[in-house]
Amino acid sequence: MTPLLRRLRSDLFATPADGALSLGLIALITAAAVGLLRWAAQKAQWAVIQANSTLFAVGRYPQDQQWRLWLLTALLTAATGITWGLLRSHPRADRDGLLWPRNDRLVLGLLAAVGLWLPWALRLAPALQTRWWLLAALLAASRWLAGRFGTQLSRPMLRLFPLVWPLIYLIGMVLISGGLGLMPVSPSQWGGLLLTMLTASFAILLCFPLGVLLALGRRSDLPLLRWTSVIYIEFIRGAPLITLLFLGQNILGFLLPGGLAPDRIWRAAWVLTFFAAAYLAEAVRSGLASVPKGQVEAARSLGLSYPQTLARVVLPQALRVALPAMVGQFISLLQDTTLLSLIGLLELLGVARTVMANPAFLGHNAEVYLTLALLFWSCCAALGLGSRALEQRLDPQTLSSSSSRP
Amino acid sequence: MPESQALLDPAHRPPWWRDRRVIPWLVQGVVALVLLVLIAFLLGNLIHNLTTRGMLLSWRWLGEPAGFDISETAVPFSAEMPYWRGLAAGLANTLRAVLTGLVGATLLGTLAGMASFSRNPLLRGFTRAYVETIRNIPLLLQLIFWYFVVFLSLPNGTAALQIPGVVLAKSGLYLAGFGQGLHWSLPQLVNGVWQAPLRLSVEFAALMSGLIIYSGAFIAEVVRGGIASVPKGQWEAATSLGMGWFATLRHVVLPQALRVIVPGLNTQYISLAKNSSLAVAVGFTDLYSVAETTLNQTGRALEVYLLLLGAYLAMDLVISLVMNGLNRFVQIRER
Amino acid sequence: MTSSPTPLMIEARGVQKWYPNGYHALRGVDLTVHRGEVVVVMGPSGSGKSTFIRTFNALEDFQEGSIRIDGISLGNDLRQIDAIRREVGMVFQQFNLFPHLTVLDNLVLAPTLVRRRSRAEVQAQALTLLDRVGIKEQAQKFPGQLSGGQQQRVAIARALCMEPRILLFDEPTSSLDPEMVREVLDVMRQLAQEDITMVVVTHEVKFAEQVAHRVVLMAEGSVVEEAPPAQFFKDPKHERTRRFLDQIL
Repeated sequence: MTPLLRRLRSDLFATPADGALSLGLIALITAAAVGLLRWAAQKAQWAVIQANSTLFAVGRYPQDQQWRLWLLTALLTAATGITWGLLRSHPRADRDGLLWPRNDRLVLGLLAAVGLWLPWALRLAPALQTRWWLLAALLAASRWLAGRFGTQLSRPMLRLFPLVWPLIYLIGMVLISGGLGLMPVSPSQWGGLLLTMLTASFAILLCFPLGVLLALGRRSDLPLLRWTSVIYIEFIRGAPLITLLFLGQNILGFLLPGGLAPDRIWRAAWVLTFFAAAYLAEAVRSGLASVPKGQVEAARSLGLSYPQTLARVVLPQALRVALPAMVGQFISLLQDTTLLSLIGLLELLGVARTVMANPAFLGHNAEVYLTLALLFWSCCAALGLGSRALEQRLDPQTLSSSSSRP
Repeated sequence: MPESQALLDPAHRPPWWRDRRVIPWLVQGVVALVLLVLIAFLLGNLIHNLTTRGMLLSWRWLGEPAGFDISETAVPFSAEMPYWRGLAAGLANTLRAVLTGLVGATLLGTLAGMASFSRNPLLRGFTRAYVETIRNIPLLLQLIFWYFVVFLSLPNGTAALQIPGVVLAKSGLYLAGFGQGLHWSLPQLVNGVWQAPLRLSVEFAALMSGLIIYSGAFIAEVVRGGIASVPKGQWEAATSLGMGWFATLRHVVLPQALRVIVPGLNTQYISLAKNSSLAVAVGFTDLYSVAETTLNQTGRALEVYLLLLGAYLAMDLVISLVMNGLNRFVQIRER
Repeated sequence: MTSSPTPLMIEARGVQKWYPNGYHALRGVDLTVHRGEVVVVMGPSGSGKSTFIRTFNALEDFQEGSIRIDGISLGNDLRQIDAIRREVGMVFQQFNLFPHLTVLDNLVLAPTLVRRRSRAEVQAQALTLLDRVGIKEQAQKFPGQLSGGQQQRVAIARALCMEPRILLFDEPTSSLDPEMVREVLDVMRQLAQEDITMVVVTHEVKFAEQVAHRVVLMAEGSVVEEAPPAQFFKDPKHERTRRFLDQIL
């Protein structure tokens, strides 16, 4: 028997019980896979996705204004490509980095597959297909350009580059909602993936500083700050998100003078933010606890003030340690946006349910759900992988000052 | 120069804004002021707005007839009964769901967690795939999948799925059990309608499937982390003593792993209790669902919200108390 | 010693400290240190020697007594404390290097932020200092990649980069493997030749004999004996000192 077969045998069929288990699992997996593939290829009607693709993507956003969203997507794609390329062309101070490591080639291959094959497979309108191909090309091109010419950028330019992202966010807000000469599009017309991404990114960006503040307050020596943080965190963590969203929709109007209330979408986005901040605070808190007291002592004895110590010594270390937990929170946040469908907002899941209620597409629930599940799974898995890559770059192996090598 | 002279003078009293002892009080004072102003503002508006609508805090409406039915409940309830009874019925349903979910998820999670350490790479891979898939798909999506795609597509009547003692139909899950008079009876088809001693509605079954499978994946990770925290030497020692894989797990590894597992379980259990509120999406009338209906009918947002919050906070507290007790029991006494 | 009175760098009188749990850590300690002096503080564990020197840069506070550092009195004035911390450098037993910064950045951080000097200027000085302690090639490495002895030498360079007038050492070699103790002590010996004032808490007797102007014994929160090393080690006056020396010699 070849070594491979021998290994298979010892791994899978060591005892009769093991053998039975292995056979059972193999049978189960094959049956499920075959059944799924056969259903996907033959019985499933994917027309329901194709016919509603715009609805899924942007909800009821006015057709003639959608070019603004394409512009935004293009900006985001370019920025992503350039950031990716710059990161690769500037490896960490003590390491040599490859410009196109194996992971990058894998990811590029995957993106090519998704960006090029998917629009064709879904039989989208040719105009749409072309735009997706252009976007994929834009990503690849900007990545290559940044990788190739990134080292030629001067240092001040490099430091300023991260500002591009908040800038794009602001531009994006204007593009989406209007103003500054663009026709206003009310939030009630935002929907689908656009709304999901918007609320998720809003909550992720804002819950971060709030969560850090809460974590610092939680660990403060000042009793008032500590108790305020504790009460806030425990109050939020005790309540199911749906009750808080519900509260936001109903009571928020009463908390403001004259019963004036911001649009439902913003109410929900703020609730998500305050909700996520409490959980993020716990993740950051464990990061803060992992920073040895000696670090603060060293910084203070060098003459650094308390804010300087926090910003330059404590937080950089604490956030590195808390990074996996924080990204876990962000992934949860992305998934929690689906709850907005329960308060009547048409984000991705809400749109899906509307589509399924449409008599023209009766009985095609499974196709829709599978697509949605795949979409969420990919986004969350991608976030998880990105976090692991970030961890690698900030390698914790070097993060121990009192460890010594012989 | 008077300034530097002051620095050298040992009896020098620093100005209050530079005094190390004053600053903590100053900071707290400012924060307290800001908080008080904020709370006064919000509360003031709340009271004003509610009063102009005549909706200020009152509990009398709880006694009025509800005007809606709850079909599935341990506490009998119909439209003419008061609101408080409806809310109680909802709470009973929530407790039923949470308890079942806790037991089911713990079982599934523990099995899956242990399976991650199996010698069989197929089993390990299968478990890994389970955890990674479930964790990255939103719970609400999974619940809706179970309800709309799986359970509502089940056949009914004679075409229902049947195995001895269990019948799975669109109208519910029927289990054999002890009926009236302690007779052991099997599910039976009577006039085209299934009957059995133990019937679970499809809504409940969907909710349970989703919750158990979802929490099971997270609990599997907790268990896996706990088992991984036990030093490898323990496994080796047990094997050298002649213990098999399962025996090692049960008598040597798991008891030590519990120290790490129990706190993690606390978080997951509370999470499950809160996730039960998504029952509204599958049509199971739990506490939140009844509360939502109540609020829509009475407009009593503040009171309903206080009740909801109180109930869930109480549930969290009970779970934490029990788990903390368990935690103390499980911690290994050290010298 | 010099004949004309040298300025007092550290003047501690009657320092008393109680921990919040009631433990009386410092029981009326006196110490004076002149500019350029090297004072070694020794004592059994729990004697309060580390606690005492940590009062000099306000890492520990005290309830009674007075401390003046380079003429500035230690009190509740934040400005005074900041001024003192700029002039007092500290080297810790656990090194406490910033693990997320390179060795060079560890040195450059404080002078650029606290003394507002230009980065280029500080970097040049930092490289010179690293050269002096023998670690110039490691400038771009991270602390986690260095050995314990190397890390402690970086810590010394980092403290020196702030150009302090006083350097405090809190058991700098106690966490090091024996073969690395020597390289750190060598650096400290070099420093002692220069004009910097040093207070060193340590168990290294040979170092004290060679370099110290005075050796101080602390036990149970107070100073037991204070003498030049020759007298301290060969002919101690107090029984307690003799007992201590029996244990370590």
